[in-house]
Amino acid sequence: MEKDTLILSFESSCDETSVAVIKNGKEILSNIIATQIKSHQRFGGVVPEVASRHHVEEVTKCINLALDEAKVGYEDLNAVAVTYGPGLVGSLLIGIMAAKTVAFAHDLPLIKVNHLAGHIYSANFVTELQYPFMALLVSGGHTELVLVTAPGEFHTLGDTRDDAVGEAYDKIGRVLGINYPAGKKVDQMAAIGKDTFDFPRAMVQEDNLDFSFSGLKSAFINTVHHADQIHEELNKDDLAASFQGAVLDILSNKTFRALKEHPVKQLIVGGGVSANQGLRKRLADEIAKRHLDMELVFPPLRLCGDNAAMIGAMAQIQYDKNDFADLDLNADPSLDFDME
Amino acid sequence: MKILAFDTSNKPLTVAVVEDGKVLAHYESTEKKTHSITILPDIKKALEKANLTVNDIDLIAVAKGPGSYTGVRIAVTVAKVLADTLSKKLVGVSSLELLAANGDKAHILVPLMDARNDNAFAGVYQNSRDKFVSIIGDHHTSMEKLFDALKEYNEDQLEFINATPRLQELIQNQFPNAKIITSDNSLPDAAKLAQLAETKKPVTDIDDFVPTYLRLTQAEHDWYAKGNKDDGNVSYVEEV
Ligand SMILES: Nc1ncnc2c1ncn2[C@@H]1O[C@H](COP(=O)(O)OP(=O)(O)OP(=O)(O)O)[C@@H](O)[C@H]1O
Ligand SMILES: [Mg+2]
Repeated sequence: MEKDTLILSFESSCDETSVAVIKNGKEILSNIIATQIKSHQRFGGVVPEVASRHHVEEVTKCINLALDEAKVGYEDLNAVAVTYGPGLVGSLLIGIMAAKTVAFAHDLPLIKVNHLAGHIYSANFVTELQYPFMALLVSGGHTELVLVTAPGEFHTLGDTRDDAVGEAYDKIGRVLGINYPAGKKVDQMAAIGKDTFDFPRAMVQEDNLDFSFSGLKSAFINTVHHADQIHEELNKDDLAASFQGAVLDILSNKTFRALKEHPVKQLIVGGGVSANQGLRKRLADEIAKRHLDMELVFPPLRLCGDNAAMIGAMAQIQYDKNDFADLDLNADPSLDFDME
Repeated sequence: MKILAFDTSNKPLTVAVVEDGKVLAHYESTEKKTHSITILPDIKKALEKANLTVNDIDLIAVAKGPGSYTGVRIAVTVAKVLADTLSKKLVGVSSLELLAANGDKAHILVPLMDARNDNAFAGVYQNSRDKFVSIIGDHHTSMEKLFDALKEYNEDQLEFINATPRLQELIQNQFPNAKIITSDNSLPDAAKLAQLAETKKPVTDIDDFVPTYLRLTQAEHDWYAKGNKDDGNVSYVEEV
């Protein structure tokens, strides 16, 4: 039997402080998540300076809880991993400084992890990944189709053109009077309502795999504002269902077009919007309808949003490749796959 | 006692290793390199120069603000995680008091951090029996208000420390005879930080140790200004 690898991993790219202990990239011994949502709800969205301050308040508590829950000490660890981008620079820096300090203090190797790779590798806790696989990344800041050809080998097929899908949910949610983050509530309303507004399906006809949601968002907002002006009451559940209907058409269209070009055995969905119930059902239905022999993998709900467990899963791949970082590691707020 | 001291609350970065008053290693840099990049390599170098490992250190001393929010957070995060992960004692020292330590002990010392628009973070300190006593606590203030508060002192006694060109101009207009040490000549010194730390009580709860910002964020300020109140039990951050 090979020796186990234990990685202490950190995630602080936005408004969650998370520390996890991950065994062999597959098993979660602990995954502490301290969320700041209630704080930022006061302001209707994430305020970077407030987020950075909370990360400093939480960081040592999260480390100690993660070690306690995993029932391990520093001497049991093999490496320290941390998200270094993309995200808010002030937020990223707290996790990075903490991880570098622990690595330095205990003479452990340091691993710098791309947050988006982490979202994709949440699937590692669910299934045995088979390469190549297709990943649909749907989060607060990104909408991407990524072909993963080997462990840690990412090829972006389609990218975010303007608003990311999660961002679009949050913005139209605000117009419906829903506080940030609005995705979950809009998803629930969509399940009740009907797609009656027929919003535009941006770029569904176009010949590339990039995603745009700003046109849909604008159409939605204009519809609501126009109704407000003429004092017409619109059914909010129908609005939500119509928005989500367009989102799902766009996501599904591009995803299956990518799959046609690159037939694979697994479709992995990751990022905050992968919690969406409508999306889960839609992709499953499309696979059945097309008789595709393909496994559809969604992370458990707790691993859809930001968490350090997924960072540990990706970090294990880098650990196995001896891909280590130095103590001069800095944040890279606009990191993407093709830049590494 | 072996002390590791560092400060990144402003542009300069300073690291020192001090044992029983003797400076074993000392780094100061005014390079505009990012503190987040250099601080750990610099700490490592300082320890190597001192021929010590981080485990040999008894106490970690850090300048806890006020200062640049991001800058202060970098040193405070390293300090609190280091102290926590190695079970070391931790002392936080006011970044302004550290600047006061650059002044003439016979003077009324007014350390400053330029906070733009003719505002500053400032404190007023006096040295008595080799300890700095805060006579006006560190606070965020307009220079005008600060000058009002200083009028009761003899101008010749005043010494302003770490003045940017703009603050220097304002001070000279108000107190032509006061002594001014400009920011170029007032680099914080981690060896002095170690010395100051020895006179202070270590932090009792490392988890709760955070920078002294002295200001709410703009978003919080505006939120309270609208009449909002924290409801007693609400915890803004929750473990889920
Ligand atoms: N059920 C849901 N349906 C749709 N959107 C959802 C759902 N649950 C959460 N979201 C959205 O997920 C987003 C948060 O996801 P995540 O935490 O991955 O984003 P992020 O970390 O801010 O961005 P990124 O990962 O791109 O850096 C929010 O926009 C939120 O509204
Ligand atoms: Mg995310």
